[in-house]
Amino acid sequence: MNSHTLTRLRYTYLPDHLIGEILSKRWIDNAIPVLTLALIIAVFGSVIGNFFTLGSIGNISQQVAELGLLTLALTIVMLSGGIDLSIGSIFGLAVLATLICMNALGLSVGVALLAALATGMLCGLINGLLIGYLRLRAFLTTLVMLIILRSVYEIVFLNFATRIVSGMPQSKLWDYLAFGKIYGIPAALFITLAIALVLHVILSRARHGWHITAVGGARRSAYNAGINVRRTICAAYVWSGGLAALAGFIYAARLGSAGADTGAGLEITALTAAVLGGISLGGGRGSVAKALIGTISVAALSSGLVRLGVPGPMNSLILGTVLILAVFVDVRWMKNKQKILNTVYMSPAYVVMPKAAETAVGSGSPYAVNDKLREVDAIGLGILEGPEDCVLDRDDNLYCGTRHGDVMKFHGPDHKTWELFAHVGGHPLGIQMDRDNNIVTCVGGMGLYMITPQREVVKLTDETNRSAFSIIDDSQLKIADDLDITDDGRVYFSEATIRYNIANWPMDALESRGNGRIVCYDMNTKKTHTELKNLVFPNGVCIAQDQQSFYFAESWGCRLSRYWFDGPKKGTLQVVIDNLPGYPDNINRSSDGHYWFTLMGMRTPSLDLALRMPGFRRRMARQIAVDEWLFPNINNGCVLKFNEKGEILDALWDLGGQNHPMITSIREHKGNLYLGGISNNRIGRYKIPGADPNWCALDARWGKS
Amino acid sequence: MKLSSIAGGLAALVLAVCASGATFAQEKGMDNPRRGPYIDQLKGKRVVFVPLAMGFDLTEAWAAVLKKQAAKLGYTFDIRDPNWNADAGARAIQDVITEGADVLVTHNPDIQSYGRLLQQAEAAGIKVIQLNMETTTQTDAYIGADWVEIGEAGGRALVDRCSPGKGISNKIAIIQGIPTGAADVYQMRGLWNVLDAHPEIEVVSQQAGSYDPSKARSIMATIIQQHPDLCGSFGIWDSQEAGAGSALQEAGKADQVFSVTSGGGNETACENLKKGLFDMLISYNAPLQGEVAAAKVAELLESKDAAGTRKTTFFTPLTTITADNANGFNCWSLDDLK
Amino acid sequence: MRTMRLTQEGVVFLIALVLFVGFAITLTDFVSPGNLMTLLRSVAILGILGLGMGLVVVGRGIDLSMVAVMVVAVSWAIVIGQTEIGFATGILAGLIFCILTGLVVGVLVAYAEVPAIFTTLAMGSIVYGIGRSLFFTLDVQNVPPGNEWFAFLGRGTILGIPMAIIAFGIVAAVLHLVLRKTRFGRFIYASGDNPQAARIAGLPYRPLLVTQYVVSSCIAYVAGLVMAASVSGMNTRIFNSTMIYDVLLVVVLGGIGLAGGRGGVRNVIVGTLLVGVLLNGMTIMNISLTYQNLIKSVILLMAILIDTLLNPRDEQTSQQGDI
Repeated sequence: MNSHTLTRLRYTYLPDHLIGEILSKRWIDNAIPVLTLALIIAVFGSVIGNFFTLGSIGNISQQVAELGLLTLALTIVMLSGGIDLSIGSIFGLAVLATLICMNALGLSVGVALLAALATGMLCGLINGLLIGYLRLRAFLTTLVMLIILRSVYEIVFLNFATRIVSGMPQSKLWDYLAFGKIYGIPAALFITLAIALVLHVILSRARHGWHITAVGGARRSAYNAGINVRRTICAAYVWSGGLAALAGFIYAARLGSAGADTGAGLEITALTAAVLGGISLGGGRGSVAKALIGTISVAALSSGLVRLGVPGPMNSLILGTVLILAVFVDVRWMKNKQKILNTVYMSPAYVVMPKAAETAVGSGSPYAVNDKLREVDAIGLGILEGPEDCVLDRDDNLYCGTRHGDVMKFHGPDHKTWELFAHVGGHPLGIQMDRDNNIVTCVGGMGLYMITPQREVVKLTDETNRSAFSIIDDSQLKIADDLDITDDGRVYFSEATIRYNIANWPMDALESRGNGRIVCYDMNTKKTHTELKNLVFPNGVCIAQDQQSFYFAESWGCRLSRYWFDGPKKGTLQVVIDNLPGYPDNINRSSDGHYWFTLMGMRTPSLDLALRMPGFRRRMARQIAVDEWLFPNINNGCVLKFNEKGEILDALWDLGGQNHPMITSIREHKGNLYLGGISNNRIGRYKIPGADPNWCALDARWGKS
Repeated sequence: MKLSSIAGGLAALVLAVCASGATFAQEKGMDNPRRGPYIDQLKGKRVVFVPLAMGFDLTEAWAAVLKKQAAKLGYTFDIRDPNWNADAGARAIQDVITEGADVLVTHNPDIQSYGRLLQQAEAAGIKVIQLNMETTTQTDAYIGADWVEIGEAGGRALVDRCSPGKGISNKIAIIQGIPTGAADVYQMRGLWNVLDAHPEIEVVSQQAGSYDPSKARSIMATIIQQHPDLCGSFGIWDSQEAGAGSALQEAGKADQVFSVTSGGGNETACENLKKGLFDMLISYNAPLQGEVAAAKVAELLESKDAAGTRKTTFFTPLTTITADNANGFNCWSLDDLK
Repeated sequence: MRTMRLTQEGVVFLIALVLFVGFAITLTDFVSPGNLMTLLRSVAILGILGLGMGLVVVGRGIDLSMVAVMVVAVSWAIVIGQTEIGFATGILAGLIFCILTGLVVGVLVAYAEVPAIFTTLAMGSIVYGIGRSLFFTLDVQNVPPGNEWFAFLGRGTILGIPMAIIAFGIVAAVLHLVLRKTRFGRFIYASGDNPQAARIAGLPYRPLLVTQYVVSSCIAYVAGLVMAASVSGMNTRIFNSTMIYDVLLVVVLGGIGLAGGRGGVRNVIVGTLLVGVLLNGMTIMNISLTYQNLIKSVILLMAILIDTLLNPRDEQTSQQGDI
């Protein structure tokens, strides 16, 4: 076993690409709060003997029930980009309102609940009007509200104190709220959990919740996107007031009394819980789950400290330290997460490339360099940016996509004039025309789209079935690349990679793992499924003449393959050419029954060597800036023609790279070859010597209309 | 003075008798047959104390006495300090119910918050002693001051000083602590029992100081500006009233205003009396309360009765202290208890 | 002032003036020298704390640990003073404690990049916890007898002016000079106005931050000493009160924006005066303390509201995460 074998085994079977994928998940933000919670539970569980008994858990749950509602109140406001320091005072007022109704006035539980909620929401509304509509600063305003409401509390409390303590409400429901238990867990916790569930749905699934998060995440963008920022913020404070009041109601039921300091300082406890749960100050980042995790941590911590007999002041010392640590970790995490992710996400594989075919002049190789493309005409020079592919209709009009998210139409036959055909919104890559003259195109970052002759843009699909064990969400289409359509309306299209988005596609070359796939969309059933997986940057797709198979190119694999989707050989995968000297891109039919394909760039010995040295590529990714990395050459290439036996029949080069430097696609139409290039500013037109001047690809494919 | 001289004489007598006996025979006494079992059955029992907060004279004194007894008799004594937070206290009691204990000693923040919890504790077999601040729920024992009596005594003293013709005016101010606490609720009843009978006394202000001297100080500073002719002041607790007293001293009105308050009789209170921060302290002698509570704890630990079988109340004795008798037994120091 | 743009400081000053004139006309005794002294004296300690807070806020920070530091450091000084070590040494120990606390806060804010609001909020609890668990057990510490010079700090007068007011004046004058005339002061304005620019311009941004918190700790200590001297003791339960919020409100009320880089000593004085006039007037009007708190805070809210209406923020200019 030599070192190469070791390297191969290590980079083939050790799934270290998963580390980066795990780090890129949104839920990884929960990792630190969850670990903190686990640590707290582990420490107290080992120090305190009966920490895990049902009764003990019941006691913690009781605290979670009340503190949880307060933390949720704060969470909603923090999500909206504000802060609510007045929740402690609102809590106190709600306790008072409840007790006045129950103890002093002898009203029913329902009325007391309504009174408490009305009190809380009214206070929240005042906060909301001031901060949302009048745009006062949240921190100061709620700070002043804290003092105002506390003064109100003291005034009302002094007047009702004796009547509150002398009344004894007789109500089964009231007692049940206080001491009712379901399987040893306080009933109050179930109320809180039910509310948490509702809030979770609202915050993660409903328009209102999205608005709150959007306003908190980027207030200006939310405003520009037409969200009523003021109303949303106001609503967040009303929520907060209502939830704090509900917590007060449960507290009142449990203790049946109030003291001078009821609710004082709770805002700090709730803030600690929220931050410990990973909800960031400044908005937009947080969830109900995080709020609950933070709450449980704080409840377990403070309960554990009381159980250990730690004196009160020591308690505040420990809670203070925990708060600082939590914020510290949160700040560091936010600051460095992206950095870490950037360095570990790229995970190179061990690849040994076959020896590249010869291209030298005079070598006799079919790939030999020539200068046939020197006299290519340019279409749309200076108008187009990034036409990856193009297609021509029966009236010789040429359609191509641009980097700006448009599909342009150049009027035939001379293609001098043009118009914007349709705006898609994403960069259209591969483009085809179906039997009914609809343009079907793979839009990078968006999925598979169709543009009707009436210029209507229709989304065909943007997701496929999710694989069972993938960590990153591979159901979403990241880079749909090229497509072809079968006679019965199935669209086979390639997705180059599932690990990188459209902006970072060259990085996939450094991995060369096989992150791509070929997906099938059926126009009849409108269903999508993944047909082939683990391909090395699959690119061009072209249905073969037999209508039972397609050819496809794997760019970083430098090979052409053929796959049978129908007929007797269904499911067979066959490599057609495996030693290309460059990176193959789109494939299309030629008028003589063979196939055109392009090389978008040429292999270099240095990169071929680097592919056998994954450790080298990993060090490169970690230690030097992206623009210093060793990337594949995608500056020049050529057009090739092959037959079904895998023989190269023709090669067209632009030797100096002056006229048409980069080619990603070809399209033969009426004796001309049209050339697209993803980083070009033109479409090239090459007159093919001896080609059938009347051959129209659409007619050949779908029959004369 | 008298007491100590009698005690001294007795001790001398006993010593003399013993000494004379010793010369005749080596008498070594006998084992007390009740002592062993008594101490054994208390071993390993658990007593938990949930005060309002530690860190002030009353709770420190009680805890010191109880701790000493626990060390002597071999039961464990835990303190759960909620640091003035009624909610934390409630959770501490809930934890005690969960963990189990033999006797729970509580010092309640108000007359209701812990009430139902204490019932639950008794239902769970934990005997409950309420110390000085009771709830409306009666448990195995209440040991503490008779607040109504304190209120009445304070009221009478104020009426005595501020009746027409006696003081500078008829105006008095009341500074409560936490209006839902037993000390407030019952003291106010006692005070108003007297004041209702004396309508000539004018109460110009009744506010709550939350047991906080600095708050009492701001309240009194305000009152004395508004009523420069104030005659009397009633404070719920000496520690808080010291703040009000310093406000009076700053305003130069300490001699004019007669302040009445009550407290545990710590030496600090005596010093404050001497400094003139207040003029009359009705002391419920915290160490004495601690001793009574300790006796009750021992009794309950020994008793085979179920929790809540017999409910007793014991009002500890009160002493009126002024600058004249602020000394000796009336003024204890925490260091002596420990 | 050349443009007639009304700043918050101006608004507050106007309100204070209107109240003052109103009280002077309607209330007897309001303008008597005795009452004016009482007025100033009652807010002097708040004012001193406000100066410390003002400095930090100008540097775009906030120090919510001031009251805790003040309470614990002074209490420790007194506790040491009660032993044979002596009160003078105790005061020195308290000062060292303040400097250390300031350093810890500063390092956490400047180097660990923990937001100031969380650092100081938590440091308040930590400092109080340390004090109560390690330095003293009782809530109230009394100054040991026989330190007349210390009592003079609190209760003495010079030329009929109480020492508390003089202390406020001295701290204000020194801080004013430091902020306006020294390089350190100008750097604080620069770093508070635009931290990124300050760093790029080569200011020692992080050491500046640390210094700021050390200074505010020390000013809190001065306030604590004056307070302890005037009541011959320190009640540690002030930590649990809303005093720190009052301090913050004096600062903000005077017009030092929380966004940093604006305002100065004059703003703190104006804010303190408004609170003083307000409290004193209400006291003479026979309003009880709880109602005074209510009215005071409602007026504070009005001041913030007026400021916002005069200097509105809108969706395009307000900063993200600026609360």
